[in-house]
Amino acid sequence: MVALLVGLRWRQLRHQLGRNPWMIVTLILTGLIALGFLAALSAGLVALRFAAPDAAVTALVLTGAVIVLGWWIGSILVSADDSLAPERFALLPVTARSLLPGLTVAAATTIGGIGTITALVLMLLGWSVSLPALLVAVIMIPLAVATCVLGARVVSGLLGRWLARRSTRDLVVTLGVLLAASSGLLLNLGIGALTTVTDVGGAFGTVADVVAWTPVGAVFGVPAAIAGGDLLAAGLRLLIAVATVAALWLLAQRLLAARLVAPIQSSGGGRVRSGGVLDRMLPANPVGAVAARSLRYYRRDPRQLVNIVMMLLLPAIFVGIAVMNGLQDEAIGFGPAVTLIPAINALLAGSIVQMSIAYDNDAVALHVITGVRGTADRAGRLLGFGLLAVPVTAVLCVATCLLAGRLDLLPASLGAALGLTAIAAGSGAWVGGFLPGRAPAPEANPFGRGSAGGVQSLLAMMIMSPITLILGAPALGFAIAAIWNPALGWVSLVLGLAIGALALWGGAVLGGRLLDRRWPEVLAEVSSES
Amino acid sequence: MTDPTAAPPVLALRGLRKQFGQKVAVDDLSLDVPAGSMLGLLGPNGAGKTTTLAMTTGLLRPDAGTAWVLGADVWQDPAEAKARMGVLPDGIRMLDRLTGAELLRYTGLLRGMPEAEVVSRSGDLLDALGLSDAQDTLVVDYSAGMRKKIGLACALIHAPRLLILDEPLEAVDPVSGETIRQILRSFVDNGGTVVLSSHVMELVESLCDRVAIVAEGRLLAHGPLDEVRAGMSLQQRFLALVGAHDLGTETLAWLRSS
Repeated sequence: MVALLVGLRWRQLRHQLGRNPWMIVTLILTGLIALGFLAALSAGLVALRFAAPDAAVTALVLTGAVIVLGWWIGSILVSADDSLAPERFALLPVTARSLLPGLTVAAATTIGGIGTITALVLMLLGWSVSLPALLVAVIMIPLAVATCVLGARVVSGLLGRWLARRSTRDLVVTLGVLLAASSGLLLNLGIGALTTVTDVGGAFGTVADVVAWTPVGAVFGVPAAIAGGDLLAAGLRLLIAVATVAALWLLAQRLLAARLVAPIQSSGGGRVRSGGVLDRMLPANPVGAVAARSLRYYRRDPRQLVNIVMMLLLPAIFVGIAVMNGLQDEAIGFGPAVTLIPAINALLAGSIVQMSIAYDNDAVALHVITGVRGTADRAGRLLGFGLLAVPVTAVLCVATCLLAGRLDLLPASLGAALGLTAIAAGSGAWVGGFLPGRAPAPEANPFGRGSAGGVQSLLAMMIMSPITLILGAPALGFAIAAIWNPALGWVSLVLGLAIGALALWGGAVLGGRLLDRRWPEVLAEVSSES
Repeated sequence: MTDPTAAPPVLALRGLRKQFGQKVAVDDLSLDVPAGSMLGLLGPNGAGKTTTLAMTTGLLRPDAGTAWVLGADVWQDPAEAKARMGVLPDGIRMLDRLTGAELLRYTGLLRGMPEAEVVSRSGDLLDALGLSDAQDTLVVDYSAGMRKKIGLACALIHAPRLLILDEPLEAVDPVSGETIRQILRSFVDNGGTVVLSSHVMELVESLCDRVAIVAEGRLLAHGPLDEVRAGMSLQQRFLALVGAHDLGTETLAWLRSS
């Protein structure tokens, strides 16, 4: 049974790769990133091993606990598409007792599982500070893997019913992406907080000591205690670690047995309030309809909601970094340059418009069937995006000008931000006609197997960025000059609006013509399996 | 067959061909559908029915050949051809984060219809298909049968002259199924033309007056229902044409429980 399930898992992966060459590219990229992390881990461990053998034990316990927690929390995000979900076995005459060993081993031999095992093996480098600890750590590896895999099963099993509701699933996905996006800032804040603690090493040591007694870290606490020569603590921690795995095993088996007889079925979110205001506000023609639909999707489709929230978050992150650096270095301060930060949203604007058909996936067939003109499609999507982006950009510009205490720079800030955003959106409307990109399917989990849209989107980005920079240079240039001569800000604003409007018009017309010619090909590209 | 531009049948397929890699999905398929008829398109799984309909409706570019809708070439003059047909695709996602009412309104406006007409027809269609209670529910939360019904409503809203329906009654409950049959019959009685694909012989026999049978991308038989049946039941005739897979007496012998 074990070999059967492991084989099933791998055959599924192989078929997926065979069907879609883009996915191989993504897999290789993911693998390279993972290898990078592992290389960094081993380099860090080697350095610690020789520079500060005492700190190595602390670092190992904490790293191990983070890996375990990563599995447990990660399972919430990835559980939505489990190719070995219990439901798939509900019709077969199998028991939880016979399935669980196979499912556990199968999970340990996924790409994530192999990466984890590799990381655990690499951690032996650090454990080599003492021979007994090294030996114990080797024995602990299977126990650690079991803690990760079984814990993940239990967490996703416990939350499964709750996650099966579409609204909670959407919420989790949205929060997860936002957390991942702002992790850099959070890390920055964390490090900032740490620098205020005088005895960093001591603090880490204390935390590691506590963690080593918890179910999350006990597995790593055992060799740590051995390294410290405390055999009693080692025994007790071993007891905790074994009890944890045993408890998780029993719980996982209970949950699995329950799922086999009462499969979870995804359910919906019920009625929604239909915003009649949108329909009254926008013209009742194809352009207005597409715009209204885009706005509805920004709110109802978690993949797109994330994009929109990012338009507020990305500038906020940059402002945050600028402010933090400004606090540290009074001499430079976070001067008038922050008023240019809202223009960074041009990066997002291009992609949002370029990828808009990819987000529709094959549902865009409705546009093909109804024979809507390509220009109407492009103009509608741009209008919908603009109705959201213009107020957001305006608010950001006012906020940054207030923050810098330079309201006189508002025209320059608006000119740069609106100009660049409009130009990027226009170029996205054009590029989207021949490089529509690929997004994860609407019902798929964005955290599941990597989406293949990345490579195409990167290519599109390489086309849109130079266009935006070249066409946006006048607006941006005068906006920068306005820092010294605020009157030039008005020049920036006029140029930004004029060139932006031209770019929007050009993008809609050129992109629309492309679509009229290439609708079937675009449909095939965005709907191909990824 | 006559020149399609001279006295146009409502739908004329001419030499349609599509190849995916090594597999020829549709091979030189030509077919005329006269006005006021209801044509049942039959064929085993993988016969090329959906591919043919996709090339007819502008979703898939043929390798060769074209389709004419009321004299308009789908691939030369798509706007004109698409305006005259209503389409219910199968196996394609809908914009399912809209509610049923929103999706209908969206389709109507994309078709360039005046708003007042969209509103009144949406109400009629939702009532007729029994979707009024679900009009404010997102389509993503609809059952399979409800999706078929809202898809059919979207195909009907601009009152097309030609309806192209891929598996219109699949997963639809018997009550709604009867409603859909009535809608289609009265549509044809009033001069409309329907092309529908199905696996259910009974449905085609009771509803359609013309039949086309395809297998492995080729048109095997085509014409008025009685002519194609040639005295047999449609089921027998279909199996005779497509080739029944007759099980020998010893096949699956272990399945006998005695």
